[in-house]
Amino acid sequence: MIRLEVNYRGIFQKTLAYHISGDIVYIAHKEGKTAFSNGRYSDDPQRNGIPCANFAYFSKDLSEEDLEAEASASMDIKEAEVVIVVDDTMVKGLEPWGGYGIRPINEKVVKNGVMLIVSNRKPADLIAQMEKKNYDYRLAIMPGEASFAGLWYFKDDMTDVRVLGAIAKVAPEIASIDTVADYVSTKYKSKEKAAAARKAYDEVKVSTVKAGEGIVWPYPKPVLPGWKSFDDGVYVKGVKRGFQMGPRGQNRNPDFKRGTSKTQRPVVRFDICTKCTLCWYDCPDEVFDPTTEGLYDVNYEYCTGCGRCAEVCPVEDCIVMVDELKFENQDSPYVLYKKDPEKYVKWAEEKKGHERLMPSPVTGKGNTVTKVEASKPFKKGVVK
Amino acid sequence: MAVKMETKSVFDREELMTGTDAVAEAVKLVDVDVFAAYPIRPYTGVMDRLAKFIANGELDAEYIVADGEHSQFEIGKHASSVGARAFVGSSGTGWLYAMESIGVTATDRLPLVALVGNRALDDPGAFGVEHNDALLVRDLGWLIGWASTAQEALDTTLIAYRVAEDPTVRMPAAVAMDGGYLTHSQHMVRVPTKEAVRDFLPAYDLGNRRMHPDNPVSIAPQVNEDWVMEMRRQNYEASKRSRKVLYSAYEEYNEVFHSEYDNPFIEETNVEDADTVLVGMGSASVVARSVAREMRKEGKKVGFLKIRWYRPYPTDEIRKALSNASNVGIIERNFAMGAPDGGAITMQDLQSALYDAKNHPRVVDFIAGLGGREISKTEVRKMYEMTADKKSPKVSWIGLRE
Repeated sequence: MIRLEVNYRGIFQKTLAYHISGDIVYIAHKEGKTAFSNGRYSDDPQRNGIPCANFAYFSKDLSEEDLEAEASASMDIKEAEVVIVVDDTMVKGLEPWGGYGIRPINEKVVKNGVMLIVSNRKPADLIAQMEKKNYDYRLAIMPGEASFAGLWYFKDDMTDVRVLGAIAKVAPEIASIDTVADYVSTKYKSKEKAAAARKAYDEVKVSTVKAGEGIVWPYPKPVLPGWKSFDDGVYVKGVKRGFQMGPRGQNRNPDFKRGTSKTQRPVVRFDICTKCTLCWYDCPDEVFDPTTEGLYDVNYEYCTGCGRCAEVCPVEDCIVMVDELKFENQDSPYVLYKKDPEKYVKWAEEKKGHERLMPSPVTGKGNTVTKVEASKPFKKGVVK
Repeated sequence: MAVKMETKSVFDREELMTGTDAVAEAVKLVDVDVFAAYPIRPYTGVMDRLAKFIANGELDAEYIVADGEHSQFEIGKHASSVGARAFVGSSGTGWLYAMESIGVTATDRLPLVALVGNRALDDPGAFGVEHNDALLVRDLGWLIGWASTAQEALDTTLIAYRVAEDPTVRMPAAVAMDGGYLTHSQHMVRVPTKEAVRDFLPAYDLGNRRMHPDNPVSIAPQVNEDWVMEMRRQNYEASKRSRKVLYSAYEEYNEVFHSEYDNPFIEETNVEDADTVLVGMGSASVVARSVAREMRKEGKKVGFLKIRWYRPYPTDEIRKALSNASNVGIIERNFAMGAPDGGAITMQDLQSALYDAKNHPRVVDFIAGLGGREISKTEVRKMYEMTADKKSPKVSWIGLRE
């Protein structure tokens, strides 16, 4: 049995994930093998950007019923030989529901299994965000941006057929590239698509992640209690009201943070902020913490990266959305700024670089990137 | 992508489908006149697909979105009474909200077909499978069939119409299937042609009771004590007659669609010469059958008995199937608080069926997979072993976090 997990972002990539797992079943069926697919039931109804998973199970010799039994007729997966990730910002961890904690993307990959990630980054950058395992596994990178092809209406950017081509490379037991190309050209009556699958097959780069490579996972993995260990009835403890000025001054739900939903985070230039309060006022997730001097800290653990603050900020270059994978932690930017304002601004500008990203999920075209020549220089002193 | 089947086949194509897709496909194939809807997962899967069929011009039907499940089932009931073939469905608490309507549809003897995508009764909010919703109507005069695969869901829906609408039956039928696992897993399903289904399923005709300007009737008048008992008896007789109709419907279905249903009511896997038999229904059957075959290879005399039609209850079939068994275990995806021995619902029916039987196997009950928790191979194996062990308790909770 080969188990495949397709990790994707809720709604944006739903149809994309269904295409990938469904096509694996069709290919298997065409080849006289056995397969079926399903999805993690609890993901539905999907919210924008939440981490979701679809699965495909494949076997050369088992009957469909035995394959299902082997997969435990389950709505989630415990282990996977092939873990596919169609949005590389998900390598920072997944928080599908409250009470599950933030889980590593490579939690399910088995020894000598493969992580197939759609990404334009280097292996080292991805490994630097993933939990270290005590065994070797393979990392395959298929060049590409996080596709927004899977919205309600399927805006085709060939990511689905490219992933199939890449699967032929990393798991040839499922299908050869010729089989994939043949299937794709029959399904879509398109030679271009078959060529796209072949191109991905050639482009995918496979390396080995050694045991011990990666990070010590910084988040606790909750253990669910037995029936004798919690109160009767149906309730969960709420969050007590609590507020004080300053970073992390507001009480928030410690069991569900949603910060892993983000693909970008707002980087704030406190030195040029005019204290207009709009970011704090407009943030749908209330992640801005007021400080006594009128600036607003960002609690990235709860920030979902929606970009609303950057949109409403009236000061050019003051709040800019930056690629989430460039950051190692969720530390308070305000604290960093107070420690050394000039150093903070230099650091923030480095992260921002010369690219300004504007996501456009509705058109299905992915990120629009504009170049900026230079950022505003550091401004000394606090704006009154 | 749909794979075209051979020409002249009774099948149109083979397609990757979820259980709800398969039911929607069946609803299209029987050419329903009225489809009533109110969203609740997993029924929304059927709603989505049928909306698409109508939008694409593949199906000509009234698609009525009600203001709640109660109205939805009322719409279905009334449509059925004017001679329109109707389909409704819900799950969990939605099914319970429609309960008043569900009750009278049965006593009005209207052959409405409904999907119940088994779902835990919230609260707490849960989408996973529990069979309590469907089992709550087991005594009201509905035929209840349980599907355990997507293909079976399609087949059972087609057969449900055939049996429900039969002039000797005219009872509503519920097609139950496990919400979550079955409704949302995708499997390859053979889809029959419209023509073949038309041959299998005659046009719906309610006869003298059809409410129509040309045939003015008033349905469900006030009757009090003068009539009710006789009507209940009629209902009971129809339920008995449905057994024969189910047999003939399956026989013909096998013939037309080359399916291999041995018995409409039960499905046996190595039961005949087994000492130890597990009984269950729904998607857990898939795992239980696989483990039964595996253990048989190891020389253990175990078997699995799947119940497909739960109402009318297959008393004779079960007595016969279990006539050689010494130990019987039941996989229960339901609960019955305060019931005898702390067992769940289907144990009560099974034990009373066996009480007057010649053979009296020891019966134990396993409460498992509640709220959609998976029932793994390891757990099923444990259930077989515990059933075979005379010292195991009467009722056990399997897969519970202690």
